[in-house]
Amino acid sequence: MSRAYTSLGVDRIDARYKVTGKAVYAAEVAVANVAHAVIVGSTVARGRVKDIDVRAAQRAPGVLAVLTHQNAPRLPGGAERNKNDRVDRTLQVLQDDQVVYDDQPVALVVADTLDRARFAARLLDVRYERVETPTVTFDLRSPNYAPPRAVRDTTDSNHGDVARARGSAPVVVDATYTIPTENHNPMEMHGTIAVWHSSDAVTVYDSTQGIFGVRKKIAHVFGLNAKNVRVLSLYVGGGFGCKGTPWSHVVLSVMAARAVGRAVKLAVTRQQMFSLVGHRPHIIQRVQLAAGKDGKLASVEHDVVSQTSRFDEFVEPGAVTARHLYACDNIRTSHRLVRLDIPTPTYMRAPGESSGSFALESAMDELSYAVGLDPVALRLVNYAERDQHEGKPYSSKSLRACYEQGAAAFGWARRPLAVRAMKDGDGWIGWGMATATYPAGQSPASAWASLRADGTALVRSGSQDIGTGTYTIMTQIAADALGLPLASVRFELGDTSFPETPVSGGSRTAASVGSAVKQAGWQVRQALLALAIADPASPLHGLSADDVDVVDGMLLSKTQPSRRDSVVAVMARAQRPELVARADAKEAESRKPYSLHSFGAQFAEVRVDEALGSVRVRRLVGAFAAGTILNAKTARSQFMGGMVWGIGMALHEHTVRDLRSGRVVTRDLADYHVPVHADTPDIQVVMVPESDPHVNDVGAKGIGEIGITGMAAAIANAVYHATGKRVRDLPITPDKLLEVPV
Amino acid sequence: MLPGRRAGRDEGLERSDCPTVVALFGEGNEPFADEREREAIRAELRALGAVLLALSPDVLWLFRPDDEQQSLEPAPRAPDGGPPALFQQLGVVPERGRPGLRGLFVVDGGGTLRFAHRLGHDERITLRAAVEAASRAMLLPAAVPAGSSRREFLLASLLTGFALAVADACAPVPPVRDAASLPQDQLDLTLQINGESHPLRLEPRVSLLDALRENLGLTGTKKGCDHGQCGACTVLIDGRRVLSCLTLAATAEGSKITTIEGLGSPEALHPMQAAFVAEDALQCGYCTPGQIMSAVGLVSEGHAKDDDDIRELMSGNLCRCGAYPNIVTAIRRAQKEMTGTAADGAKGPA
Amino acid sequence: MTAPFTYVRVTGDADAALDTATPGSQLLAGGTNLLDMMRLGVVSPTRLLDISRLASSGPWGRVEETDGGLSIGALVRNSDLAYHPLVRARFPVLSQALLSGASPQLRNMATTAGNVMQRTRCPYFRDIGVPACNKRNPGSGCAAWDGFARPHAILGGSRDCIAVHPSDMCVALVALDAIVHVRGHYGAGEGLTERQIAIADFHLVPGSTPSRETTIGPGELITRVVLPATPFAARSAYVKARDRASYAFALASAGVALHLEGGKIRDARVALGGVATKPWRSHEAERVLAGHEPTGALFERAADAALADAQPRPDNRFKVPLAKATIVRALTRAREAT
Repeated sequence: MSRAYTSLGVDRIDARYKVTGKAVYAAEVAVANVAHAVIVGSTVARGRVKDIDVRAAQRAPGVLAVLTHQNAPRLPGGAERNKNDRVDRTLQVLQDDQVVYDDQPVALVVADTLDRARFAARLLDVRYERVETPTVTFDLRSPNYAPPRAVRDTTDSNHGDVARARGSAPVVVDATYTIPTENHNPMEMHGTIAVWHSSDAVTVYDSTQGIFGVRKKIAHVFGLNAKNVRVLSLYVGGGFGCKGTPWSHVVLSVMAARAVGRAVKLAVTRQQMFSLVGHRPHIIQRVQLAAGKDGKLASVEHDVVSQTSRFDEFVEPGAVTARHLYACDNIRTSHRLVRLDIPTPTYMRAPGESSGSFALESAMDELSYAVGLDPVALRLVNYAERDQHEGKPYSSKSLRACYEQGAAAFGWARRPLAVRAMKDGDGWIGWGMATATYPAGQSPASAWASLRADGTALVRSGSQDIGTGTYTIMTQIAADALGLPLASVRFELGDTSFPETPVSGGSRTAASVGSAVKQAGWQVRQALLALAIADPASPLHGLSADDVDVVDGMLLSKTQPSRRDSVVAVMARAQRPELVARADAKEAESRKPYSLHSFGAQFAEVRVDEALGSVRVRRLVGAFAAGTILNAKTARSQFMGGMVWGIGMALHEHTVRDLRSGRVVTRDLADYHVPVHADTPDIQVVMVPESDPHVNDVGAKGIGEIGITGMAAAIANAVYHATGKRVRDLPITPDKLLEVPV
Repeated sequence: MLPGRRAGRDEGLERSDCPTVVALFGEGNEPFADEREREAIRAELRALGAVLLALSPDVLWLFRPDDEQQSLEPAPRAPDGGPPALFQQLGVVPERGRPGLRGLFVVDGGGTLRFAHRLGHDERITLRAAVEAASRAMLLPAAVPAGSSRREFLLASLLTGFALAVADACAPVPPVRDAASLPQDQLDLTLQINGESHPLRLEPRVSLLDALRENLGLTGTKKGCDHGQCGACTVLIDGRRVLSCLTLAATAEGSKITTIEGLGSPEALHPMQAAFVAEDALQCGYCTPGQIMSAVGLVSEGHAKDDDDIRELMSGNLCRCGAYPNIVTAIRRAQKEMTGTAADGAKGPA
Repeated sequence: MTAPFTYVRVTGDADAALDTATPGSQLLAGGTNLLDMMRLGVVSPTRLLDISRLASSGPWGRVEETDGGLSIGALVRNSDLAYHPLVRARFPVLSQALLSGASPQLRNMATTAGNVMQRTRCPYFRDIGVPACNKRNPGSGCAAWDGFARPHAILGGSRDCIAVHPSDMCVALVALDAIVHVRGHYGAGEGLTERQIAIADFHLVPGSTPSRETTIGPGELITRVVLPATPFAARSAYVKARDRASYAFALASAGVALHLEGGKIRDARVALGGVATKPWRSHEAERVLAGHEPTGALFERAADAALADAQPRPDNRFKVPLAKATIVRALTRAREAT
């Protein structure tokens, strides 16, 4: 089958709508007679709601309802998480008087305008009792416990004899690295509009990475048949993990709509984004690398401690990468959790890989100085040809080419080994690098394709496009599978009435939905070929299916190209208004014998102004090998976007909680810093060609998250190279670079 | 736990920093003549940001304007013997059988006596009239004291202390008890948006952003923070790029407003929009309308000479997807087309 | 969470605004600070007097020359002021300060008077869910003192309040000895007259009354800010240190001007931002500088003098060396300016 459209850098198909303001996001859907709901959050982190005086709020103009735990309806499914569902969460939806984190929902005000609802929320008099001083931070002395799993892998691992290897190694690096709590802060805050159609059927417009998860949650909580719950999410203004599972506001909007008998819109505020919708947990990581004088690793130890809430468990699997990334016979890793009076963390762009790679790649950089080796050379000395942890070969691994091509694009060969070697006026220049990696996952997904008699096609899959380019690459895959011009194919997503797909997370949508779309398109193509071959009036009559290709709406024989027939003609003669197929794509069998990952190499140049403590990234190069690149344009944007996240992780992002009250202090975009235009230099992305026949039907490995992995370390390593100052505690802000005598 | 009182939800009327109006009555159980007088005084107090302490020799009332009046009986711990002593110290003689206002004093939040009037024997003034006079007096800045003297100073301290003691003894109540008594204005406005007139009836507090998104169905302009920190809500007002979340719809009346919808359509893209598409200067698209409107403003401002300038002058527009490098390329490209000038300053074909 | 209010649009006659102004009213110019505070629920005026339209009449919206100095109308937009040719030529520290602050959109909206009157960015002050804020809730304590104090003041604060003054423009104004012209009812008579307040006296340190931030009160209106003729101000610079490359408040900043003559400093102005509870003029640094050669070592001594009385909290000790570095850097830039 020819691959005409995939791998081309065609313009993003939805770009036209986004640049003209025509793309409609969840809270913008025009629903008649919609009322506005506002969540009222607690001002204590640990206690009980004693009483809420709602009278002033109820009397305020325009107020339709005030819901509290005292009058909110009892939810059949309750607020507790479904223990049989690994990703389900316990929500705070007014079912009891407990307060378990600061700014937890304790009331909901519904009014006819947004301003009236917001102001009425101020009129509530909430009183608390049994308020206790919360514990909202931890260190390595805090009591911790071992969770049952570290997401997809075991909590601990232990290969070989780490203690003996470390004991006899000439060089040991033993360092502890810290990343603070971070918040996703997509540009679009969460928002939900709920519309009840009858007493047991509801439509929900939601900003989510997982419409099927939202449907499942609502059905469970409200005791509804899932068939009567429809969730739509046509455009999502970023997610990065915080829209991966439904949070309390989704249930509350549905509850409110039922209570007031009207459609209800609930828009989460930017301040609420810091407590209501998950975060990347504060994580402390100890890495111990023992090596010979030649840099060959004798042992690797990576111990992770992170935080979770008192009521649910979330593990940031920071040590999982160390299990396979570098060849070593003795590797020990562990994950431990500390329970705190905070909301439950959640997946945040490359959960585990981005945080873990900061520690591992910083430690490798420290080792490179200890043994006097160039950082890239050290990586090559320890290159892993196979995945020693899983005991399998890699399905493909072009990491050497990534190091080579990235270094060449960057000019790495000119790098002096010594620190403080490149002065630039008031500043110092430094160059650092790190390895990037992310697993190439695939989940079951389904798609439906319909070829029309007029030669156009409609393809549907209930997936999401959170800025990743799903609309575009699926259209390309479908066009190729069907053999139609790109402009003849329309791909639709974001509706639970479409075939089911996994959440848009974990960099697996291209692999999963792509496979389903390809298979559905391919099935339609086969049916079309069968029609043509069986039709005596067709020039293709009697040929074997293997001999017939379909390109841009034309069927033609590969061996005798003059024998051809158009799609439209075939359908007309067969008197078929449409050909339809549905594919339920499973995880490809070809994957089973292999360990499947994408890899990359990150290179950063920084300029440090020591007196002012400022770090500016001057240029970045990322070289990545991620199998077949489905669209060069959108792929470059994905890689680049991840790299910009790495700048934020390294230099800016830090959610601060007041240690006495447990309340977030940095609760807006002026106090929580994400990179701005001026922080972001030219970024060069090198896409290393790679072909992987095992990874899945479309050959793609998923690229949404690899861009952030290794980047924070590359920048921190560059800062060290510039100044000789090793910062192990992110973000690298001026205070950390300025020496202050105590 | 943090020190200090439990937070009231409305901090606009700061408690001990607000002025106190002290009204002394000859006798009586009721400071207000009728409901109309009470509401009129409520309005005056609200405008002053003040609380009213009304006392007769036997009874004490505290009246916060956004609250019901509270009667405190018997009088709480107050310095030196309660109301009768205070009357004496203030030089007001309460006479039995002579109800009505006998004295009115106003002390501001800084402890300065701003108004003092002791009624003469035959003088009759309603509480309302007295409070109105006091309001006018409050317009005089504190730097110009109304006859300061040691006695006045002591008086002011006395009153402030008394007022604080009284207020402390009162049960805490939600500061804004009755929202229905706050202004209920609606404005009739006409907004000129993308060359069209839009009549609206709105509360004054509605932002231009909310008017666009909630009242006019123009959802192209996005809300990313609602506090002027992200730039997603950028529009052009009379050709200048500004934030619609921090602009009242009422203020925007009479100006030419341009939103993303007015720049171009999917069939006929503005050069900046076309450049964003071609350079993939977007991903999730939520910051995109704000980036584009801001970029159009940037080009017309004419201060961006190179990529570093573009980056600095676009820094008011956050992009969490990290499309920044492509945005800069798109702006450079469109700038060339829009001005006929290359970014390095050389003139090209128009 | 904005409380309802009555909206009054003032056109043509500012005096009408003053006659109807009462303590429950607020003046609305650019709105970038006031509307933000109102939406947070920190302030709740019941009456808003929109004076933005006055900019088109009289001197409100104009920058005018005055004997070598400049008269800046209260409603001149920050961006217009920053790019004004006379400001760039004669008072570059002011242009640089303005352009380092906020974002282009905010600079297009914010006015001179609004910038002078802006309130602190302290996150505890801005959060009505936090009880302990003496500025917002007098007598309730200061949550920042023993809390997250990293952004806050190391000069001019106390246990009662360490909220840092956030304006860049005001730092330059302080360095330039600006004079604020204010209109109001003064004296026993009926009429409206003007008074002048030196910028150094305009803002107040919190002391024991953090809720009082300026010397003016309701019923007073800034009409313009005047920069006296200061020829050597053409040799001036503003340096700002912050957590990201742009669109962030100062961790520390310095606005300086140098009068060089015969190879020595004849006169100097040094003002600090990001480190004090009000825009901070450092006469201590100026005394060290006067009469000496402008060497790096002298600049370091001046910086030491400027920060000698600094009282940092554990979270913001780094501001001491950082503030010194911004002073030295700014003085160096001013010295090198052509």
